[in-house]
Amino acid sequence: MLLTMIRPLFKNKKFIIGITIFLFFLLSGILGPYFYKVDPTHMSWDFEQSPSANHPLGTDTYGRDILAQLLHGIRSSLYVGFLAAIISLVIGSIIGSLAAVKRGIIDDILMAITNIVLTTPSILIAILIASYLRVRSLEVVAVILGLFQWPWYARAIRAQLMSVMSREYVYLSRMAGYSDLRLVVEDLLPTIATYAFMSFVLFINGGIMGEAGLSLIGLGPTQGISLGLMLQWSVLMDGIRRGLWWWFVPPGIAIVAVTASLMVISTTMDEVFNPRLREE
Amino acid sequence: MKFKPMLKFIGRRFLFLLLTYIVATTIVFILPRAIPGNPLSQLLSNLSRVAQANPESIRAAERVLLEEFGTDKPVMVQYVNFISKALRGDLGISITYYPRKVIDLIIPVIPWTLVLLLPATLTAWWLGNKLGAIAGYRRNTWVDKWVLTSSMILSQIPYYWLGMIFIYLFGVKLGWLPVQGAYSQGTIPSFSLSFIIDVLKHYIMPFASIVLSAMGGWAIGMRVMIVYELGSDYALFSEYLGMEDKRIFKYAYRNSLLPQITGLALSLGGALGGALITEIVFNYPGTGYLLFKGLTTLDYPMIQGIFVILIASIYLANFVVDFVYALIDPRIRLGQEE
Repeated sequence: MLLTMIRPLFKNKKFIIGITIFLFFLLSGILGPYFYKVDPTHMSWDFEQSPSANHPLGTDTYGRDILAQLLHGIRSSLYVGFLAAIISLVIGSIIGSLAAVKRGIIDDILMAITNIVLTTPSILIAILIASYLRVRSLEVVAVILGLFQWPWYARAIRAQLMSVMSREYVYLSRMAGYSDLRLVVEDLLPTIATYAFMSFVLFINGGIMGEAGLSLIGLGPTQGISLGLMLQWSVLMDGIRRGLWWWFVPPGIAIVAVTASLMVISTTMDEVFNPRLREE
Repeated sequence: MKFKPMLKFIGRRFLFLLLTYIVATTIVFILPRAIPGNPLSQLLSNLSRVAQANPESIRAAERVLLEEFGTDKPVMVQYVNFISKALRGDLGISITYYPRKVIDLIIPVIPWTLVLLLPATLTAWWLGNKLGAIAGYRRNTWVDKWVLTSSMILSQIPYYWLGMIFIYLFGVKLGWLPVQGAYSQGTIPSFSLSFIIDVLKHYIMPFASIVLSAMGGWAIGMRVMIVYELGSDYALFSEYLGMEDKRIFKYAYRNSLLPQITGLALSLGGALGGALITEIVFNYPGTGYLLFKGLTTLDYPMIQGIFVILIASIYLANFVVDFVYALIDPRIRLGQEE
């Protein structure tokens, strides 16, 4: 069943390209640090070296190896992205389905909250909250980002579920005395599974981009290495105007490659599963 | 046009945004008081290091801070004070630039951010929609594939990273354009021709990096929308009636533009965030740069002030977009959307 669902995806050239690029970065984030065993925090006298055999991507102002930083950075950025995405998905699903199932005053209140969060720029709230926290782990950054990017998803879920709710099989389940929870889990959630997955992918992108933005403004994780922190260091040390391209180009390429490949995966899934967009 | 429903719609939107603004300022109020480790007491003890002035003014600043965050009064009184001040635009006094008022520091930098953000965002929106519409109309041709692929990549490039690449390529390597600031150092802002040319030269790179990386998303959205519209009943019916393609396309384009207008309102926040960071990368003297300075010195009144001002402007922009939307689409006025 699952296989027949997925099979058309692998006939799609764009999907294959997207998933290959994504897996490449995912694996280099997970496995890279085991194979390339250079300490990304180790400082040496070879500072600001351009790429060489010794340092495949050169070094920064403190003589730290950029490739090692990049591999660890990809790992942390993906971690932040995934964590933020899970948080957003859970909040959005709960609020969206609760509003659709309960209706009435609960619906009104939840939708008011959703609209307020939707109208308020999430990056600004993230900046404000992060500025009050002295210590920010990767997890804290992920939570700050994940807390505010769910509204558009919750609204879409609510709309979708409300249309499903008026179908006959849901009436039948209601008559059979299903509890709200059972109704959601058995009848409703399966209808939003693909949409939820596509949104999850976009949430990951939001997390990765959000981390980079927070870091650049000086509010990134206070320990560890991330792609955003690499960019911030190169900005702080004026690496761009001094022409140290190997410092700020790789983390940017990693961000764009990961998020763009996820985007391709999401849109091709939409094309394959959505009959109105399916290519004839 | 019926006037009354329009007025009702506008009134409802205004009330909603006012409510949202109060919620946002409430968050600003609660945060420093709710976060464990009380950043305020830390701030007070750090004050001597932060302010570069004599003990007397530090004490004065301390008094201001205490009064600002009013630890001596009951919480409800503090809250009411805070909200009424925020609604009047009184944002307190900066610590770094003591004793200057936060609002006086923010007002001069806002035009730089507006001049960068608004034209760039609108240009990106317009260009992206045109490109996406063409791609959707010529679906599955090379134009479509080219537009889609490049949009997919462009839409994922953060503004500021594209800015960095531009600085390196056109500023450092080729030396065509100035690499930082909004105008050359040493020149005094005036309305002379040479100054305007200087400003424009500094403007090109930040502007272009925002336009290019923002338009991809619009193109992708518009392409899907056009495909939907061209496949819908009215488009097919018009086609069977023998209407020319160009005319059908025009109708489809107009209908597809509507959701993109809502999208524009919703994207403004993200665009603002991106522009703030782009300013930091370019050392562009806008709100983002001021915020960055405030953050490095932990100037909380300033950080809060910038937050309140930016949130208020985003809400205002949302209100304007809603108004425009209601003008264009009668269905919204009649309240079918909500």
